[in-house]
Amino acid sequence: MAVTATVSTTTPRSFIWLEKIANNFLLRRLVKAFFTIWIVTTLTFFIVRAMPGNAVDILIQDLTAAGMSADDARNQAASLLSINLNQPAHEQYLEYLANMVRGDFGKSYKSRGLKVADMIAAVLPWTLFSVGLSLLITFLLGVGLGALMAYKRDTWIDHLLSNLAATLDAVSPYLIGLLAILTLSVTWKIVPIQETRGALSPGIQPEFSLEFFADVFMHVKMLLLVYVLSSVGSWMLRMKSNTVSVLGEDYVTVAKARGLPDTRILTAYVGRNATLPLFTLLAISIGYVVGGSILLERLFTYRGVGFLLGDAIASRDYPVMQGVFLIMTVAVVFANLLADYLYGWLDPRIRISGGGQ
Amino acid sequence: MNALLETGARTWRETRKTFKILSRNKMGLLGFIGVIVIVFLSFGGPFIWPPETSANIADINQGISDRHWLGTDFQGQDNLRKVINGGKDIVTIAFLTGIIATLIAVTVGSFSAFIGGRVDSVLMELVNIWLTIPKFPLLAVLATVLKLNDIVTLSILIAMLDWPGLSRQVRSQVLSLKRRDYIEAATMLDLGAPHIVFREILPNMMSFIAISMIFTMTHAIYQQTGLVFLGIVPYSSANWGVMISAAERRAVLYNPQATWSILAPMGAIVLFQLALVSFARSLDEVFNPRLRTSV
Amino acid sequence: MQPTLSVQNLSIEYQARRGRVQAIRNVSFEVHRGEALALIGESGSGKTTLGLGIVQLLPSTAKITQGKALYRRDTLTLDALTLQGKALREFRWKECAMVFQSALNALNPVLRIADQFGDTAKAHGYLQGRALQERAEQLLRMVRLDPERVWKSFPHELSGGMRQRVLIALGLLLEPQLLILDEPTTALDILTQRNIMDVLKELRAKLDFALIFISHDLSLAAELADRVATVYAGKIVEIADVATTFQDPHHPYTIGLINAVPTLRGAKEDLTSIPGSPPDLIELPPGCKFHPRCPLADYRCREQEPELEPIKPGHAVACWQWRSARAAMEKFRS
Repeated sequence: MAVTATVSTTTPRSFIWLEKIANNFLLRRLVKAFFTIWIVTTLTFFIVRAMPGNAVDILIQDLTAAGMSADDARNQAASLLSINLNQPAHEQYLEYLANMVRGDFGKSYKSRGLKVADMIAAVLPWTLFSVGLSLLITFLLGVGLGALMAYKRDTWIDHLLSNLAATLDAVSPYLIGLLAILTLSVTWKIVPIQETRGALSPGIQPEFSLEFFADVFMHVKMLLLVYVLSSVGSWMLRMKSNTVSVLGEDYVTVAKARGLPDTRILTAYVGRNATLPLFTLLAISIGYVVGGSILLERLFTYRGVGFLLGDAIASRDYPVMQGVFLIMTVAVVFANLLADYLYGWLDPRIRISGGGQ
Repeated sequence: MNALLETGARTWRETRKTFKILSRNKMGLLGFIGVIVIVFLSFGGPFIWPPETSANIADINQGISDRHWLGTDFQGQDNLRKVINGGKDIVTIAFLTGIIATLIAVTVGSFSAFIGGRVDSVLMELVNIWLTIPKFPLLAVLATVLKLNDIVTLSILIAMLDWPGLSRQVRSQVLSLKRRDYIEAATMLDLGAPHIVFREILPNMMSFIAISMIFTMTHAIYQQTGLVFLGIVPYSSANWGVMISAAERRAVLYNPQATWSILAPMGAIVLFQLALVSFARSLDEVFNPRLRTSV
Repeated sequence: MQPTLSVQNLSIEYQARRGRVQAIRNVSFEVHRGEALALIGESGSGKTTLGLGIVQLLPSTAKITQGKALYRRDTLTLDALTLQGKALREFRWKECAMVFQSALNALNPVLRIADQFGDTAKAHGYLQGRALQERAEQLLRMVRLDPERVWKSFPHELSGGMRQRVLIALGLLLEPQLLILDEPTTALDILTQRNIMDVLKELRAKLDFALIFISHDLSLAAELADRVATVYAGKIVEIADVATTFQDPHHPYTIGLINAVPTLRGAKEDLTSIPGSPPDLIELPPGCKFHPRCPLADYRCREQEPELEPIKPGHAVACWQWRSARAAMEKFRS
């Protein structure tokens, strides 16, 4: 109390506000999230507009090759990408930024007339659902198995799980996907591959019914399995090493000396402290899973944004590519923000001091 | 010059010591031998078993047999021979990317750790931001726009996207080494930054750098086979990625008879990745005492 | 009166790569209610192992090879070393609380002090809610902390000395009959150390528990303890009341330790350190374990190990030369 009083008498008010922003963990993360999105948006502008052999030039070439006159091709390309080619570069950039903020990503080049934003909106929920659910499952499974490995250190179960985790971690996700199809669908015929195509069966309406959820699960299960298998390994290994080091901490020994029940020590003392550092890894993991969605959604014909991006790449549909890439980044950045907030909420050291390193 | 020679000698001693310890670690040794065999077969193999040039209609989609150890593909060509001939690109890209990314990461990371202060915090904040951007979509978009078609440019591109994460780890390693007594002593004696970096710090980080490089390599394999799968980087030569995606396109996946033409290249990639990673993990186990199995 | 704790012929070994570490060898001692026993010795002499052994918190590589630790309260008598499961959990902290060396990291960083008190109370079916808070506030005041400031805080918001005092208050929460303090003031600055010692002395005056005080610092032991046991190479080599230990020590090692402590009055030249270093607990020398560093050692010391023998009521020494040790050491110094 006394400290704040002295500060406010010696420092001007506006300065305190700046200080507060700089020291507020949550606010700082929010600013960083928007900064990240801005950087990626700008990067995309350069890729699409300014780089040698950029998308606009290629689009114009493609359109001319398709029999359009040079001027028409130029106008067409400009309108597809929502860019005014007659403006100076910096004005183009500003207008582009304004468009992005409004959610105007232009129109698809291949599916004529369709707005990119609408195309994304139609498929985005499926990716958010499948990636989100798989992250949750992976996290819980990885934390549980990792802690088990640490508690059963140097027993056969630890060796088995450690080797399994290291193997899953090493192999590319889409190879795991191919293997899953080869074994589950082709060789053992447990999961008919046709039934998992798409995100929903034709005729099923989104509603709160058992039928709907069963259908959603039927379509997502293979994708989910592969997402989980391909990322659970690294969580397990990290959790194991965190738990091993927390088990050596004094406060765990003291907790035992205090006569606390084992379950309480496992959850509130070991589990919580070993899990906390994992939140900083979510950033990399989310990006990894979303990146993998391009390959896996394509492999399982699951119509999400990854599938859309794959399609756009195959047909060189630049407006769609740009839009999907931006949306993916925004989704990952906000998922990270969420993870950061969760971390800040769970770790008092971050919450109060605001020093997040 | 002298300092460089000295570094070389020390690195060599460190490496020899490493292999001595490693030879006691079965998984690590197996991984190391695996990598050597794959590299050797990929570069030497084509001279002994050159690729088949014509289709062989009589032998399409065969299973495994004495004549075809890994079966045949949709053109009736021997899968094993194709696998031997299809490794060069992937191995090259893996090593090139690993080396380029590690070089950049070590330079930037140790620079950042040494300069410290504002430069360091800005650099690391940028690296943190970079880490949140989904890398594979960016790579896919960039590779599409750039119309990449040669492996060197592709390696450089993948390395450019991959180094920042690595540099953060290098930085924290350098920082922790910097705090050790003998480095502090060298700093006090004013032996100069190049001396400290090349003779005191880098030799002590060799194992760490090797591990990071190997993980970057497996990641590069994933990314480039992924690009092939998406049809972004079509290669003229039939590498493992192309074999998989060609088989996949022909719905070989659902034709139990032809399974071997997809299993063969997959197996090659998986083996390469596993060999690399088990080598790296054993290096990690040897040099990171916290994970060591017994005290 | 029956002693609160009586340790009998306790031996503890560690299994290390090089061989067996004999950390505690055939140690026996007693602590009574209201009494404070100090265990004094250089680091690596096995003092901490002894404390950890009593609450069965030794690392998995350690093994208790022989001995008992009989704990008595009212009519209850139990061997702390054979307790298991629920009985062990109840013994810990409720009967015997142990405050550890590294207090800085002894509290769970993600729980408030209030929750750490709550956890402990709940585990032993002790007071809850308001009643617990009142009891805890009383204890916190007793260790000279402001309950208002501390109760809702997280450990990282408190200084090292405050954390150590919180831990001592937490140790007293369940009114244990036996309190083990393992180097409670190491890693703290000199003023904080002073403060904690004052707190401990006050507590000793107010409360009536048996205290085992483990330290390498003789002056702290002199201040707090009623009796002092000198530990060398995992064995008690001399045990006596505090006045005798400082004024009339008979073991050359105890004499050496006392001569190595600077006093305000004593001249600097009077300070002597003990030559050499503590022995390797894996390959112990034959005979008396102190003989390689002892200026008085003769052939018998090199071959036969002396046992702890009473020389006066309440004073026991393990030395062949105890009769002549004091005079000889004096002569040796000058």
